[in-house]
Amino acid sequence: MNAFHRVLTGAIVLVACAQANAHCVVGARFFPATLTIDDPCVADELAFPTIASFKNGDDPSTRQFDVAAEFSKRITDKLGVSIGTAWTQLSPAGASRADGFQNLEASLKYQFLTDAARETVMSGALVVEFGHTGSSKVGAESFSAYTPTLYLGQGFGGLPDSMNMARPLAFTGQLGYAIPSKSSVTSFDPDSGDTITELNPRFLTYGGSLQYSMPYLKANVADLGLPDFFNRLVPIVEFQFQTPVANYHGSGIGTTGTVSPGVIWVGKYFQVGVEAIIPVNRASGTGVGVIAQLHLYLDDLFPNGIGKPIFSGSTASAKSPLGN
Amino acid sequence: MAWVAAVAAMFALHGGIAAAHAFLDEADPRVGSSVRTAPTELVLRFTQDLEPAFSTVTVADASGQRVDAGKPSFSGNLIRVPLRALGAGRYRVTWRVLSVDTHSTEGAFSFGVDTP
Repeated sequence: MNAFHRVLTGAIVLVACAQANAHCVVGARFFPATLTIDDPCVADELAFPTIASFKNGDDPSTRQFDVAAEFSKRITDKLGVSIGTAWTQLSPAGASRADGFQNLEASLKYQFLTDAARETVMSGALVVEFGHTGSSKVGAESFSAYTPTLYLGQGFGGLPDSMNMARPLAFTGQLGYAIPSKSSVTSFDPDSGDTITELNPRFLTYGGSLQYSMPYLKANVADLGLPDFFNRLVPIVEFQFQTPVANYHGSGIGTTGTVSPGVIWVGKYFQVGVEAIIPVNRASGTGVGVIAQLHLYLDDLFPNGIGKPIFSGSTASAKSPLGN
Repeated sequence: MAWVAAVAAMFALHGGIAAAHAFLDEADPRVGSSVRTAPTELVLRFTQDLEPAFSTVTVADASGQRVDAGKPSFSGNLIRVPLRALGAGRYRVTWRVLSVDTHSTEGAFSFGVDTP
């Protein structure tokens, strides 16, 4: 398997972990931070730890254990940055373990549309993976990758009263184009003495989530009198895929991805999520893995400190429907 | 471990040192419910204390006519809205509030009054 492809597939969760962020309130809609894709807002948040265990797409498949962290910070109300990485341990059958850090990943995101009435939000970002900042033992690349990405969040609160129970539904999605800084890498095979050149394809990266917000149900549709624990749950299905679209002919690389059903519990100052990781094909992995995350809302924990934008005359709120 | 300390700090903060978005915690009449006796006031309880100067609540009937009567009263995380005499029908509550740390939120819901 091509090394760049392995980063995008075998380490699929790592990339996702590093991108997962955002405390996102749009009108009556709260989009919780998703675990395997990014969500469409900028925010002041810390995702730590994100822990994942799964069997990756290597041949033979290797047990992979990741611990990831990501810090997100608003520069202004609409502009934010984030930086994250992950520590990986690979446990191949019949061979010694390898561990180390993945490459650092950072993003600059601009939230250019926030329509509170329609529960719609959109952002654009440049996501950069910095080559040579991680360990090659766990597949970290020597080259960088640049991924311009679009994000969308859409709540279904505007559905008619006849579809009341569907109003807590929401969709988030993302679409990106991953461009490696080098079109190929050349290595020397000490066994055969041959020089091997591997192409680094360009990938279309895309994903989404379908979520059902019990907090939205209770506050905006129908208070069913459920225990508080259940009123804070958001059942969710996330999915993400990568498809090579350029510079991949003859490499045998195809579409890979995962589907992740699970649930997120939303508290006042943090959320906890757990999801299964189901690979969509053999190249994406084998068996069912698991991912769990603790996500802190820094804008709520420290509204007058680290939780507010660097350049803002107001305090923490970046999404004021009052226009404050 | 560092993250254990972070979690411990987080739970400490959960006790009220920090402030958060004010979400609707409970309403009377209950969100989405139908009641047999017309209420004389609407009570909203939020998850955080509110800034009255920047918080509003309106109640309207099916035709869009306002049925809230007079200014709402605020007390911590509570809002009480006096209502006019309500007949049978559906009513729409729309709220926008600012929590004491300036996080703002909004929402809307309906309740009904059944014919006695």
